[in-house]
Amino acid sequence: MTHRTVIVGAGIAGVSAAAALRSAGYDGTIDLIGQEPELPYRRPPVSKEIVRGDKSADEIRIKKAEWYEQQGIGLRLGASVVGLDVDARAVRLSEGDPLLYDHLLLATGGRARSPWQAAGVRTLRGLADVPRLKDELAAKKAVVIVGAGLIGSEIAASARGLGCDVTLLETASLPLPRLLPPELGQMYVDLHRAEGTDLHTGVMVSSIEDHDGQTDVRAVDGRTWTAPVVVVAVGMDPHVELAEVAGIVIASPADGGGIVVDDRGRTSAPGVFAAGDVANQPNGVLGGRHRVEHWQGAQNHGTAVGKVMAGGDDAFVEVPWCWSDQYGANLQVAGWPEGSHDMVVHGSIADRDFIAYLLDDGVVRGAVSIGRPRDVRSARAWIGDHARLDEVLEPSA
Amino acid sequence: MKRWECQQCGFVYDEAEGWEEENIPPGTKWEDIPDDWTCPDCGAAKADFVMVEL
Repeated sequence: MTHRTVIVGAGIAGVSAAAALRSAGYDGTIDLIGQEPELPYRRPPVSKEIVRGDKSADEIRIKKAEWYEQQGIGLRLGASVVGLDVDARAVRLSEGDPLLYDHLLLATGGRARSPWQAAGVRTLRGLADVPRLKDELAAKKAVVIVGAGLIGSEIAASARGLGCDVTLLETASLPLPRLLPPELGQMYVDLHRAEGTDLHTGVMVSSIEDHDGQTDVRAVDGRTWTAPVVVVAVGMDPHVELAEVAGIVIASPADGGGIVVDDRGRTSAPGVFAAGDVANQPNGVLGGRHRVEHWQGAQNHGTAVGKVMAGGDDAFVEVPWCWSDQYGANLQVAGWPEGSHDMVVHGSIADRDFIAYLLDDGVVRGAVSIGRPRDVRSARAWIGDHARLDEVLEPSA
Repeated sequence: MKRWECQQCGFVYDEAEGWEEENIPPGTKWEDIPDDWTCPDCGAAKADFVMVEL
């Protein structure tokens, strides 16, 4: 009997899993179901080249349309999965017959968190969010951005590049608080200000309301910012509902949320796997569990779980790594630099040409760099090996 | 010898150094790298690289 694989979610994790299945010689059916009507695309450029208008959607496709045909992958775009029966091993779509599976991969990603609903509020997660915001930025409208994480910071840089007046608000005392240690967060304070972005930290937003064609962002301390456009970039919530209703084990929000998987991507239901942003997975380096919301993590997790679905048995262990482009500076972050650690810096932070190693008792736990991607690559391996910096660094470095 | 940077993630391919991990020897010119080669870091396509002066 033909083996049937259904993949729900056509982002990078789902597409990578499909590719890995075929590379491993899997010859059963693959149905790849995408909620968005778009041919699968790379999400990282959305907050950068796409919203700036520097690239078109067709320039960021993960694979060409022909690839899915050549690989025998049944792509169903703009399709909603409305039910999952893990006993009958069936996925129900909003239209048509249920899809029966032997293996199911949930690679459902997440949605932009949006606690406020005012008419001027925008969020940015996918291509569908782009046209209106892109037009508003191109028209040089003033914009207030709530949240100076990666997406908020990148939109701020994109909007400044287009000549908008940009106000960037952050609850924490420094930008990129989940990513950077304080010394390096300060570098981004300086960078935003040097580029003309009006950054305010320590701002706890209490309400966002429309007011005479403008939108007011009010902080708990009474400060108020007003603009025609307000972008809310305060993180994402994983799409767990389908799994949850089916009785699959979900992590609590305090544990990062998401669908609980083991180191092979297996969920609590037989034959059901999860990968990418939605997966709450074991942290194979530091222990414990985590959920990773970066491109490379989703890509490599999808690939690894796809191999397991094809019959492999390798655990997925990876050091998180991500990059960000803001005002032309390419930031790379590896491992877990955000905690309180010792820091060793090579190069110049002020010149934005450096790598900073974050250490716990001499062991490399994280690395942050601008302009030195090769050094970050080495650091990723050291972090995975629990290497001591003084033992791996060349004396000349 | 030229250097090519991935426009997505910042990875730099240096013709002088090649890319040992994938058996691309030092001195390999950009045009001699297969078109289906992808960025070792982020998986972006060869077409997503641009030549950089460093």
